[in-house]
Amino acid sequence: MDDFILGFTTLFFDPTGLAVFFGGLIGGLMFGAIPGLSAVTLATVLLPFSVYFAPSHAIMLLAVIYVSGIYGGAITAILFNIPGSAENAPTAFDGYPMTQKGESGRAIGAAVTCSALGGIGSCVLMMAATEPLANWAIRAFGPPEIFALIFLGLSIAATVGAETVWKGWLSVLFGLLLGTIGTDPAGGLARFDFGINYLMAGIHFVPLILGFFAVSEVFIQGHQIARGLRVPPALGIDFPSLAEFWRLKFAVVRSMLIGFFSGILPGIGAVLAAFLSYGEAVRWSKHPERFGKGEIEGVVASETANNAATGAAMIPLLALGLPGGALTAVMVGAFQIHGMEPGPLVLITSKDLVWVVFVAMFFANVGIFLLGYIETKTVVHLLRVPFSLLAPAILLIASIGAYALRGLVVDVWVMFLAGIVGYLMRRSGYSMAAVVLGVILGQLGESAFIKSMQLLDYNPLNFFTRPVSTILLVLGAASLAYSIRRATRSISGKDAVKPHVP
Amino acid sequence: MSAKKSVRTICGVTAIIAGLGISTVAAGADLMKPGGYPERTVSIIVPYGPGGGSDQVARAWATAMQKITGVGFSVENKPGGGGLAAMPDFMGRPKDGYTILEQTDGIITAEAAKQIDFTLGKDLIPICVTQATFSQVYIRPDENRYTDWASFVAYAKKNPGQVNLANIGVEGSMEVVQWGAIEDAAGIKVKQISFDKPAERYASLIGGHTDALFEQPGDVRKYLEGGQMKAILNVLSSSPDAFKDVPSLNDANIGDVPVLQRVRLFWVHKDVPKERQEYLVKACDAAFKTDDYQKFNQSKYMHLARSYYGGQDATDLVRGLVDAYVALYKKIGFTK
Repeated sequence: MDDFILGFTTLFFDPTGLAVFFGGLIGGLMFGAIPGLSAVTLATVLLPFSVYFAPSHAIMLLAVIYVSGIYGGAITAILFNIPGSAENAPTAFDGYPMTQKGESGRAIGAAVTCSALGGIGSCVLMMAATEPLANWAIRAFGPPEIFALIFLGLSIAATVGAETVWKGWLSVLFGLLLGTIGTDPAGGLARFDFGINYLMAGIHFVPLILGFFAVSEVFIQGHQIARGLRVPPALGIDFPSLAEFWRLKFAVVRSMLIGFFSGILPGIGAVLAAFLSYGEAVRWSKHPERFGKGEIEGVVASETANNAATGAAMIPLLALGLPGGALTAVMVGAFQIHGMEPGPLVLITSKDLVWVVFVAMFFANVGIFLLGYIETKTVVHLLRVPFSLLAPAILLIASIGAYALRGLVVDVWVMFLAGIVGYLMRRSGYSMAAVVLGVILGQLGESAFIKSMQLLDYNPLNFFTRPVSTILLVLGAASLAYSIRRATRSISGKDAVKPHVP
Repeated sequence: MSAKKSVRTICGVTAIIAGLGISTVAAGADLMKPGGYPERTVSIIVPYGPGGGSDQVARAWATAMQKITGVGFSVENKPGGGGLAAMPDFMGRPKDGYTILEQTDGIITAEAAKQIDFTLGKDLIPICVTQATFSQVYIRPDENRYTDWASFVAYAKKNPGQVNLANIGVEGSMEVVQWGAIEDAAGIKVKQISFDKPAERYASLIGGHTDALFEQPGDVRKYLEGGQMKAILNVLSSSPDAFKDVPSLNDANIGDVPVLQRVRLFWVHKDVPKERQEYLVKACDAAFKTDDYQKFNQSKYMHLARSYYGGQDATDLVRGLVDAYVALYKKIGFTK
């Protein structure tokens, strides 16, 4: 507690520190919200200037940008189906349908509150036990356990948002197939490239999600307008009630834990945290069929987990010097600029700095809540803009996002192609959420699978010689069996789910 | 050519160019921007994940280049395929000098092994080499099955195929060839696990999922100083002062093993306008000499040997290494 108070006074009784804190908070929020740009972009641009800052301010600035940047993308995902960053993609699965139902205020309120709660919870765990947690996580989870975790996540993916479980599975398999395009993660062999350089590099995730979500949505809305069926979404500025949050308490805690442990594992991070947490929300729900159609718990799961991953990602960085993702790698750069190396010694030699960072991350999450509350009452009014004006703006922002990624026009074409494919698939009852889950989990899962096979003498049965991977694989298999049983029942008409898309 | 001679070739090329190179480093003072280039952020594609040696070099270099050029240099990690997955992405980018590729000797061995269909120095132009270093083998300090190289070898002989080594790279890469030669000379056989993301690779050793790690000392310095890793073999003929307590190849009685360097360098596509290429070479010279980059280089043990080659020197080093690897591959039967 003394350390916390020390960090608090160092941060809040220093005008420069406060300016850096709020600058980072608002900057991260804006960069997180714009597709194609991210908190990492801002952090990279600012890194060289951090040499002029005190070391604690430099690291703190990046940490605050990290926290607010992860949340920033939720707003555009909910209001316009444009996930600002990959870790906000699952937020759009249910956040946007909620907006369609006139519940945008509830969705944003849930995102704001849960981002803050997830972040604060993970900060508390980070402050309490950075070192033992880091050591435990890297010992308990090797490649086989990570593969098993992803398998468990995939086993539920088919139930998200599709008309029938079969169509859900086809969507997932389509995503897995897309994920295999490009150079394989172990031997460097090109697959499904047809001699085209662009395909050899693999289809980038950002144009894909912009196409599947934002562009296909514009087409669907346009189609409805043409048929005279479109009803503009009602404006909702109501925050979710306390009773509603109380009802979701288990979902929040579960998502916080999933986000936290995904964040601790190097190479996993906030994207997988959000996707896995969303999958678990579906699995634990009494009404899995509501997901993908505007279920508040979907927003809660995704936003709690991705922010919980931020505090957790600081743990291996500070305790072991292992940066798990791009933003934590930029932080290593900031440490080095100031002549330090993150790792066990930092916790001893630069305790003051570490606690300023902890406290700043804690209050950045509180800041998200306050700023987010204001946003709920203001940004939502953007929905008053007529769709005929909003649609070109969405397409323009999405196009800029796809292009800004790497300066390739072909990424913009891929986005539009994904938009057309997404439009046709959604019209036929397939699920874009399941496709995207397939792409993300497939790519990470393949990489973990290859390393596992090398470790386990290429004998898949050896997965069952490790307790954690055994438990996760058995749970995944049970979930898969349940899903197949549901699918066969739905064919016989007992458990058919009505389509939710036009 | 014997393996030993191949090594001599590799070391010889390095030494000859070492003599030539200093003048180039001293030159690079004229930093007029050709036609205003660069006027916006330049991307550096790093073919490995965040946190590893290549990533650390790219980020330190990006900061130094930003200081010299006045525009941002941002790092994009594109891991996979032992460093080759980044290539199609780089080749597809606009050839305007706003995308720079970092590659290691991995791309040099790929040409020697005919795994790529372009020629280094012709299709892909080296701007500068900013790091040339040696490798080591590491274990956990609290490991009780073995505590040094001799006991590691004894344990591996007693348990053939049961010991794992965290490594990286496709067949024919420096890491795989180097470790293969060490294995053959020491008479052991261990399983190599390929991790493209360095954080995962280091975590796998620290977390106990692998038994040893093949890596370069600068990349893992903080883990060595933090007591999370311990070096047990210098992959050098004789041990440098900084690691004099760790046996060299000669000390371990495997002195015939070729010594392969890890080099890290920056490239542009041949179609990038010549004046932009020349500007980047000069900017790199100046960036390398900045205090911050020099400090970084020292922290990576780079002051132990020459680690900078700019412009034509870099091209000569690359071509020399390609030829040496071609000879070595024939010798070990990897290629015909």
